[in-house]
Amino acid sequence: MDPATLARIGNLELVARWVVEGFLAGLHRSPQLGVSTDFAEHRPYAPGDDIRHVDWRVFGRTERTYLKTYEAETNTSFTVLLDVSASMQYGHGGITKLAYAKLLAATLVWFSRRQRDRVGLVTFSGDLVEIVPPAARHLPHILHVLERATARGTGSLARPLLKVAQSQQRRGIFVLVSDLYEPAADVARALAPLTGAGHDVIVIQLLDAAEQTFPFEDATTFRDLESGARLPVSPAKVRERYLAAMAAHLAAMRTALSRSRVDYSLVDTSQPLDRVLFDYLLRREFLRTAV
Amino acid sequence: MPLLTPLFLLGLAAVAVPLLVHLVQKERRDPTAFPSLMFLDRTPAPIASRRHLRDPLLLLLRALAVIALVLAFARPVFGRIGVTGGVDQRRREVVVLLDRSFSMRIGERWPRATSSVDSVIRTLAPGDRMTLAAFDRRANALTPATADVTVLRAALGALTLTDEGTRLAPAMAVAQQRLAASDAPRRVLVVVSDFQRSGWDLTNEARMPAGTEVVPVDVAGLSPVSDRAVRAVDVRRDRNVEGPPRMIVSARVGNSGAAQRGVTARLEIGGRVLEERTVDLPADGSAAVTFSAVPVPPDPVPARVTLGADALPGDDAHHVLLQQAPALAVLMIAAREGPYLSPALRIGDAPRFEITTRTPAGVTAADLVGRRVVILADGAFPTGIGATALRRFVEEGGGLITALADQANPRTWPSAASVLLPGAIRSVTDRAGDRGGVLGALDQRHPALALLAGPRAGDLAAARFDRYRAIDTTSGVLARFDDGAAALTEHAVGRGRVLTFASSLDGSWNDLPRQPAFLPLMQQLAQYAATWRDAPRSYGIGTSIRPGDVASAAPMRAVTRWVATAPSGTRTTVGGDDAPAALELTEAGVHELRPGGSPGARPILVAANIAAAELDFAAFDVARLTAALTGPAATAPGTESPREEESLTDREARQSSWWYLLLAAALLLVAESVVAWRAGTRAPVLE
Repeated sequence: MDPATLARIGNLELVARWVVEGFLAGLHRSPQLGVSTDFAEHRPYAPGDDIRHVDWRVFGRTERTYLKTYEAETNTSFTVLLDVSASMQYGHGGITKLAYAKLLAATLVWFSRRQRDRVGLVTFSGDLVEIVPPAARHLPHILHVLERATARGTGSLARPLLKVAQSQQRRGIFVLVSDLYEPAADVARALAPLTGAGHDVIVIQLLDAAEQTFPFEDATTFRDLESGARLPVSPAKVRERYLAAMAAHLAAMRTALSRSRVDYSLVDTSQPLDRVLFDYLLRREFLRTAV
Repeated sequence: MPLLTPLFLLGLAAVAVPLLVHLVQKERRDPTAFPSLMFLDRTPAPIASRRHLRDPLLLLLRALAVIALVLAFARPVFGRIGVTGGVDQRRREVVVLLDRSFSMRIGERWPRATSSVDSVIRTLAPGDRMTLAAFDRRANALTPATADVTVLRAALGALTLTDEGTRLAPAMAVAQQRLAASDAPRRVLVVVSDFQRSGWDLTNEARMPAGTEVVPVDVAGLSPVSDRAVRAVDVRRDRNVEGPPRMIVSARVGNSGAAQRGVTARLEIGGRVLEERTVDLPADGSAAVTFSAVPVPPDPVPARVTLGADALPGDDAHHVLLQQAPALAVLMIAAREGPYLSPALRIGDAPRFEITTRTPAGVTAADLVGRRVVILADGAFPTGIGATALRRFVEEGGGLITALADQANPRTWPSAASVLLPGAIRSVTDRAGDRGGVLGALDQRHPALALLAGPRAGDLAAARFDRYRAIDTTSGVLARFDDGAAALTEHAVGRGRVLTFASSLDGSWNDLPRQPAFLPLMQQLAQYAATWRDAPRSYGIGTSIRPGDVASAAPMRAVTRWVATAPSGTRTTVGGDDAPAALELTEAGVHELRPGGSPGARPILVAANIAAAELDFAAFDVARLTAALTGPAATAPGTESPREEESLTDREARQSSWWYLLLAAALLLVAESVVAWRAGTRAPVLE
């Protein structure tokens, strides 16, 4: 699934459903992956059930074991933190980072909702832009917000992430999608309020292939998408230094986030979405086989 | 006149560039938008004056210069040069990496691959040296760097396919080592593989030495893979029946290629076909097939789900072991049995807890036999066992969980058992007056508490503790109360683990047992103290297992030397001083493990299957490989046949005609400058 082609479809709901359902159809997974749809009731415990779903309070009152699967399966809050700063508008190939990030966010949200998680979305630049709090029924709202999200402003993680952390009442999963043009130590510091509160934080650094290979040839003026600053650059002269600096930045990011026990992955906008979803699930250990 | 890189002839279009540059006179003024300038330095472009074309001679000189440059890059090859003539100044160090993983069994991939390697061997010129390395999940150099084609062909001929998965990184490390150690002027890396996407695990460290030519040879071909495979087998307990437990076996059957209807899947247990089911497989998808419930055998029995053979038979069967889940034996010691702890452990069957309850005075050392964990539920010392026996039990690997409740008077603990306490036990802290204490910190990274870290896990923050005992310890604290006092500690005694909880587990000093998280917490603590591991029903090929870890019976866990029999009959010694400590599973099927010197003993069975990732036949773009190995600035050759690539390269390298063409281009440019200068003195026109 070519991301540029998917982006042209323009209907996030359709794309997200297509990617997730298509991905799951071809998934090499255990028959146990996923859960039964019998969520909305208490039912007697039977050997083989997950003991984490036993309603222990009911046992205390009745000395009988019941499963409270409905509550357990809808208890997780899954929130995508989407960077919509101006740098996300960049796209050297057929798709901008923001367009790709929208597709990725829609796919992850759709997948999480399919798992009956409560889903939410936060878009931010230097500050919070839009917030859709996690809820079971917020999927259409999230897709709507994603569709009209535009890149603007100067990006910064610290302020919006602190606000997000302060507003959370319960622990959940947060997926940060950003190009992370900040020093790695700053990024780790910005994530600290979330990780410190016990949230499960996943960081997906999204870059265009041109940002990693710097394929430019002509000497020209480069304009910073966020600050508007201009810089005359001769690519042939700076390419080596640029690539080294970018590699060091990525390595530092990986190290810093690993130390913070944050799940980090680097994605470029040419990667198929199902591949990213596969990698994400593999890292989250949702793809355990039955062996 | 053949050209080594004929595509560069497209550069002849550049003949028009001089005209365009001078006539259009368009300077690019639109800035290039870029996400961030944080990694860029200011490098102003040199400003050079250019002149308008006024003299046709200038055009001619510039056009000729461009043509010479283009031809130089196209690297023409003139005439025939014998490969054996003269001293070879362009000798090569060639490393060939040959994929022999399971997926290479598909269709004609393996014959194609060996034929490609043979082609490379044939193109070796005098002075060239070649290393043949095979890789799957690991990589082995089969030959030293040699010019002896007999050695290379013998190594190639002896090479066989394996059932293992694919990993590129080890192979690239072998190649990098060989190429970096070579002083040959040219280095060539030939990778012969089907380039499975799941095998991509390269990092920046996989970069080859500068100037290395990377030649990927993709043997997968363009025709789509047609294969069906049993990708996974799940065994779960039948919850709908009373009486003796029964198991339901279900399998996920994957299909690569066109849809197939009426595919037969068989369940075999102990070598007998118990049931056949048909399943319709969607195109490039998968379907589940579930068999009827079968009784749970008392001892492990090999079972497998098979499909009819297809072009790739190795993945048409999936092996598992059917067995009753082993029980974790717990000895609970308390003056009176509380209403929560035993029920919390008895619920569930993953694992099943087998609980024996005794009083501190009534328990004997014989009760320790076969137990994995002892729980002192109210903290009273088990005088019936005695300090020495309890200490020996823990030192030999047993687990001990102590709740320092009302009976936990440290003065009643004999000095010989003091090692079983985490430190000095102080007085009771009573916090009933301030609504009770709460847990202030939990080390959720610790395996004993890791289950509380998940978003779906319960939360212990709501539990209120009216009373608890202060523990004088500074290390091994897994949880603390909000006043900083240790709530849960761990320390090791010999090979055993000791967990000490500073309050009660029966609800008398706190409401912890009434919290939803109590049940999984206690089960997890008991499993952790017992060093309990769930034995998987099967392993992926490439997994290393320690026989002692898969043995469920205590006497077998003490065996140090084993003999493993693979499905093919190959025997391997595992353990002891002169053999590896772990068995690496390299064949699909059921492996047998017997204690060394006891060939008639009942074996421990281990089922192994093709790794799931190896059954994902999707490939990555080979251009990614060349880019990753040579860096972004290097020229990555295509996927040409290595033989043709090499012969043309040899000839062109000997002639080095590109050098003369570059020289000609330089002379033409000098001439152009002179003419332009003379023309400029007549009528200079600056941009």
